[in-house]
Amino acid sequence: MSDGPAIAATGLSKDYGSGRGLFALDLEVEPGEIFGFLGPNGAGKSTTMRLLLDLIRPTSGSARVLGLDTRRESLEIRRRVGFLPGDLALHPKLTGRAMLDHLAQLRGGVDPRVRDSLAERFDADLDRPIRQLSTGNRQKLGLIQAFMHEPELLILDEPIAGLDPLVQQSFHALLGEISAEGRTVFLSSHTLSEVERVTHRLAILRRGRLVVVDSLENLRRVAVQRLEIEFGDDVDPAEFRALPGVADVEASGGTLTIGFEGSADAVVKAAAAHEVVAIRPREDDLEDIFLRYFRETPG
Amino acid sequence: MTWPVTRVTLRLRLAGTAWAALGLVAVMLVVGALYPAVGHTIGKLNVPSSVANLLGGADYGTITGWFRSEIAAVYAPLVIGALAITGASAATAGEEEDGILALVLAHPSLRSRLVLAKAAAIAAIVLTVALAVWVGLILGVAVGGGGITVSHITALAVQVAFFGLAAGAVSLALGAGTGRRSLANGGAATVAILGWLVNSFAPLVGSIAWLKYASLFYYYAGHDPLTRGVDVPGIVVLGLVSLALTAAAVVGFDRRDLRA
Repeated sequence: MSDGPAIAATGLSKDYGSGRGLFALDLEVEPGEIFGFLGPNGAGKSTTMRLLLDLIRPTSGSARVLGLDTRRESLEIRRRVGFLPGDLALHPKLTGRAMLDHLAQLRGGVDPRVRDSLAERFDADLDRPIRQLSTGNRQKLGLIQAFMHEPELLILDEPIAGLDPLVQQSFHALLGEISAEGRTVFLSSHTLSEVERVTHRLAILRRGRLVVVDSLENLRRVAVQRLEIEFGDDVDPAEFRALPGVADVEASGGTLTIGFEGSADAVVKAAAAHEVVAIRPREDDLEDIFLRYFRETPG
Repeated sequence: MTWPVTRVTLRLRLAGTAWAALGLVAVMLVVGALYPAVGHTIGKLNVPSSVANLLGGADYGTITGWFRSEIAAVYAPLVIGALAITGASAATAGEEEDGILALVLAHPSLRSRLVLAKAAAIAAIVLTVALAVWVGLILGVAVGGGGITVSHITALAVQVAFFGLAAGAVSLALGAGTGRRSLANGGAATVAILGWLVNSFAPLVGSIAWLKYASLFYYYAGHDPLTRGVDVPGIVVLGLVSLALTAAAVVGFDRRDLRA
């Protein structure tokens, strides 16, 4: 294992023109972390991963993976990293076993017990031609090949796409074990719910630019909070929409669901002017945090 | 070299190559069997020299002319060229377009070794087809009553092998250099077919006769291997072209981004 960050990007950019690509990414992922890399389609997640593996070359900036330069020491990086591409493609004529054997040979061999244990864990069918496998079953092969050499760092692009809930559970458990062993996972997704249970920290990208990097706890802290207030009389939602800090108000019968940032003082005091039957706090909706960062901002 | 890549590339093309080789042998057996009945009847066609050149002389009255026109002028180079061109483009740009190379290159393999591994696989396919040409000609000529020496048959097989290597190298360079399968297939096929046309027509016009030297086909068949044996300078040129284009494939692939 190397000292220092597992991944360190400094001003990393890949400009495809027309505003597409990745721009001035500064990012550090610590060893042992499960790091979520989120953003809508086309935000630059896959571009970042491809830059880290030297599949494409940066327009400017640089990155180090496991302390190694991604351009000059790419071969050693790829020896020590497991990668699952977002658009996984395998030779359709080969069986899963033949494909995994081939990829293992490219690494100079792997411990077959590890591969077999992963296949059992994911309930993967290794004996059918890949062309006969469903998307989810092909994805299992992708996960096995990424994990089977027990890499120090896993770079996984949309890893649970197509997986059924049981396999997702196995996958999340495996990530936990890997993190406990001090190995690092850098995984991307375009939906927060896929990664919120496993990530320690996450970064959100939008249009090729890093919007935020933080822990889920910290993101929750700044999230929109919600109170569901059931009134005994008719209440005009506009009264609450006008309050400072209120982001949105939904009305359903005599119940208002009020989203607000910061202190609840104004909302509670306004509610107290009416007959209140019940007040129920709603759990912070992480998707809201996520969508807020995704949303376009003028200029 | 990355031997696992060579092995898988060959494995994926094994069936197609085997059928093409068997087909070549079968066609040459049939061509040989037809010669006693048809060849003497046709004799030397009285056609314009341009057409005769396209058909390898169009001399169907001798067994050498028969096989030159039926096999050496079109069929053998067509089959070997097609397999080399499509094989090289599929193994490079095809796998890149399909997304397979993104996974393979995330493994500890140098890009240069990957291209060389693919080139080795295509060379093995070309040599297999050339061997089929050799076997088929020996059997076909025997069925047709004999008349071409084994050394001249070997000369044709060697020349066509080098033609296949050069045609495949064009496709390899375009496929590895651009990552576009259609460009690799189209470009290499254009080079091969234009070469065949140029080699046939250019010598008929004094002012452009020199163009034949730009044709891969000239270095394959210009010396008439079925009559005059191996053309060492032709082989050297085709070999150097193949090596230069393979080097260009390595450099081109190493310098660019893998396509998404």
